[in-house]
Amino acid sequence: MTMVHRRLLSGVVGAGILALALAGCSGGDAAPTADDGTATPETTAEAEPAEPVTLTMWTRSVTAAQSEALVAAFNDEHDGEITVELTVVPFQEYLQKVSAAASGDNLPDLLAANVIDGPNYAELGLWTDLTDRIAGLDYADALAPAHIAAATTDGVTYAVPHVLDASALYYNKVLFEQAGLDPESPPTTLAEVAEDAAAIAALGNGIGGLYLPGDCGGCLAFTVFPSIWAAGGTVMNEDGTEATLDSPEAAEVLGIYNQMWNDGSMIPESRNENGATQNAAFEAGTAGFALLGSKALGTIAENDKLEIGVAPIPGLDGGSSTFVGGDVIGISSSSEYADAAWTFLEWTLDEQVQLDIYASAGFMPVRTDLAENEFAAQDPRVMLFNTLVEDGQTPYSARFFQTFNDPQGPFLALVREAVFGSGPDSLPASNTLVTESLQDS
Amino acid sequence: MTATWTPTPDSTTPARLPLSIPTTARAARSGAGRRALRIAGVVLVVVLVIFFVGPIFWVVWGSIRNDGALSGANYARLVTYGEGLGTYLANTGVVVLLTVVGSLVVSVLAGYAFARLAFPGSKALFVGILAILMVPHTSLLIPLYIWLDRLSLGNSLVGVSLVMIMYQMPFSVFMMRNAFESVPPELEEAALMDGCSPFGALRRVVLPAVAPGTITVALFAFLASWNEFVTPLILLSDGNKYTLPLALVNLVQGDWGMIDFGALQAGIIISAAPCIALFFFLQRAFVNGFTNGAVKG
Amino acid sequence: MTTAVATPRATIGSSDASRKRRRRTSLRAWLYAAPATAVLILLFVIPLGLAVWMSLHDWPLLGDAPTLNFPANYAEIPDERLFTAAVGFTVKYTAIIAVVLLTLSLGLALLIQESKRRGTGVLRTVFFLPVVTGLTTAALLFLGLLSPSAGPVDDILAWFGISVDFLGDPTWALISTVVMMTWRFAGFYMIILLAGLQAIPTELYEAAAIDGANKWRALRSVTIPLLRSTLALCTVLIVTGGLVAFEQFYVLTRGGPDNSTVTMVMTIFRQAFSQFNLGMAAAMSVVVLLGLVLLNMLQLRLMRDKDEVA
Repeated sequence: MTMVHRRLLSGVVGAGILALALAGCSGGDAAPTADDGTATPETTAEAEPAEPVTLTMWTRSVTAAQSEALVAAFNDEHDGEITVELTVVPFQEYLQKVSAAASGDNLPDLLAANVIDGPNYAELGLWTDLTDRIAGLDYADALAPAHIAAATTDGVTYAVPHVLDASALYYNKVLFEQAGLDPESPPTTLAEVAEDAAAIAALGNGIGGLYLPGDCGGCLAFTVFPSIWAAGGTVMNEDGTEATLDSPEAAEVLGIYNQMWNDGSMIPESRNENGATQNAAFEAGTAGFALLGSKALGTIAENDKLEIGVAPIPGLDGGSSTFVGGDVIGISSSSEYADAAWTFLEWTLDEQVQLDIYASAGFMPVRTDLAENEFAAQDPRVMLFNTLVEDGQTPYSARFFQTFNDPQGPFLALVREAVFGSGPDSLPASNTLVTESLQDS
Repeated sequence: MTATWTPTPDSTTPARLPLSIPTTARAARSGAGRRALRIAGVVLVVVLVIFFVGPIFWVVWGSIRNDGALSGANYARLVTYGEGLGTYLANTGVVVLLTVVGSLVVSVLAGYAFARLAFPGSKALFVGILAILMVPHTSLLIPLYIWLDRLSLGNSLVGVSLVMIMYQMPFSVFMMRNAFESVPPELEEAALMDGCSPFGALRRVVLPAVAPGTITVALFAFLASWNEFVTPLILLSDGNKYTLPLALVNLVQGDWGMIDFGALQAGIIISAAPCIALFFFLQRAFVNGFTNGAVKG
Repeated sequence: MTTAVATPRATIGSSDASRKRRRRTSLRAWLYAAPATAVLILLFVIPLGLAVWMSLHDWPLLGDAPTLNFPANYAEIPDERLFTAAVGFTVKYTAIIAVVLLTLSLGLALLIQESKRRGTGVLRTVFFLPVVTGLTTAALLFLGLLSPSAGPVDDILAWFGISVDFLGDPTWALISTVVMMTWRFAGFYMIILLAGLQAIPTELYEAAAIDGANKWRALRSVTIPLLRSTLALCTVLIVTGGLVAFEQFYVLTRGGPDNSTVTMVMTIFRQAFSQFNLGMAAAMSVVVLLGLVLLNMLQLRLMRDKDEVA
């Protein structure tokens, strides 16, 4: 027993001593300076001819599927002249990674971003000007207009759409039938949503009306803004420096949510939903309604308790709108291979690529002129998403993330107070804090 | 090394120290009281075991199930995810090896110096090492990133390992200092008299005596570098240099709105398994007897 | 009380106080300490210096040279909406976690140490198991456990007719985090304390037993005094770790519900990576660092061995 120990120990300690003997004598840094053997066969900084080029690219983990498919196909096609090396970054740490890389002037050639961060990236100077290159495309006007607007600052466009998302009202047709509602005529006003949710909640037995991501600022912007827009209201002024969430439209929209919360037609867990599990209740077939993005259609599995219906997010008296989310992608301002990088971007926007790689796999094409394609024709719900984009909006503000998405931002507090707290009367005071955050520099 | 009390060890060390010991001791001597104490002890241990193991069981159970049926699908997805499990394991292995060896070298030497040798500036050095604990990792990330880049250690596993050695240093040096302090200096003096060089005495006599300390340092250096997430995430820019935790988080954060608990649980098992195995292997070292063994040897 | 054994801090043979010898000893000591010093300077002092420098400047992410912005970065800290509340919360959390973790870890270590039964090896492993998961992983794991839809805790409590809003109520969110941290770290500190217990010579206990000391007395007069430096290590680690707490709340509560669990480091993080105000984030870090250095000096002074006898 002790012998074993002694041997084991002398092994451990011996290793330490050996390293110590190697390092200790030099009296310097104990770090081995040898290469770690995992270096990639990347192009070292030799002065070589223009080709072949290796481009680095970063995307957020939520768009990994699309990015990986694009990069794989592109590298196949451009056999060796241009190679894109994709690194997928966990999306919750993306801003951290980008700011560190920017501080060290080490940004990748191709830098994708959450579309709402577009104005911020542009202001920080992370991207290079793509205005003229985009203007040179035959289909420039068809690129998702909300994305192009979000990527444009002072008339300069810095990015193109990379992955498209849109918010919609999901409803469970099985529960509609059980509650005696017509599964083929979803609600067309927010008040009707509340009525139907109440009818479904009345089923009891663990069934609830509406599931709302009530502790996730970004999700709430994604799902509540469209009703305000559809009612003719705004959430901010043009340049995103003042909040207008104290408007009558916003008060009425949030008032309806507040009423749903108070009368029990909203599922109680909504108050704690931070977005990470927002699909779960709907997928389990226990929620009549959920406000989700286009991606949920492909990831939520239908079963005997769930048949998915999708409708536009309605306003107060009819009308509808959507929040155009997703990611844009630009060429970083420090890239030495802007031409090659543009070759890649242009390739991703090509009609054939959009159809073969995006539409066929159920992803939304990023061009409005491709909305009606053979793949979407097979599922009216997919078609609905594609056509929503045309009139959807992406709010514009260089301080969007810290104001609306950040869990400690003032917008989340505003919604929670208006929906789960004292109600919409609190809006004027909360709105002031949102404006302060938008002007914070 | 259990103390040699009067027999009848009732394994009841309450988590909170009892207030009136004499009565408890008296109660322990009476039969009924002793039985009650023993039952309370057993209940306490059972509760503790459930608390510590329950979550792990849930993880194991979840990792081998998919849509309510037993399946290895969660593991299969991990093995083929991204660059492949092999790449991530190899990268993590490099970081772990460098961190463990580096931490041992740094802490054994420094711990000895602090415990045994009075030297000018030792206090400042010690406070400096402790100060590492007081700076949030978040605050150092960007300066470290810029500085390692200057040293041409940016985007490299060596750079990540150096940072990990630094983060572990307060713990490892403090631990080794305490370990050396608890070794009676007579041991060393005896060895010196027997003709050992100071270094020889350190190696032959003192090091075996502080073995529990070195093993603790090595173990925690292993665990820390094996599990570290933020440091490699910020310092490594290439997906093919990613370590295991990065790959796992990437996989779990692949979708918004769904946490892939199955993949998460399989990931926890895959990353925890080597650590548990290592602990099983090393924990015998915690069984007492080193100090005595060293004296006898 | 009185310590039976003094911990030697002086050089061997310090009775012979010739200057030459002392110089040689200190040279040897510095050689021993050289690797640690190198790591400290290269990977901590220089980056920290850079952070301090950042705290004096307006720090753009790209391009332009930083412009001097002293003392604005520091002066604006009190106005930071969440910072003051975060300081209070962080201190409260630290106090709770320190008491809970220290008592439980010491209890577990003694339980393992004292128990003569077979199976202590198993128990030791059981208590240590959670330590092998990373902190982020552990937080995610508890997120799953406590999730009403995915986790078992809700269902188990429902059997007893209890319903707890673990993450939606400020008090419960704090308790949940403390429980998670206890689960994750109790085994860690238990092992450290066990290593300390191992180092206590058996003879002392034998002597105590001969003197007729009962267990409790031996714990008070032998174990605790001799564990003092190990306990000090644990306290420093727990308290400092508590005051720079971030990941556990970042993953488990995200500072919620309604900003009730926002820690100091969370506000620094938000300043840096949500507002991109790196200069001010650095200034906040420096303030936190200074506070912690003062606190720890106090801690160490209180806990230092009073007897520096050779």
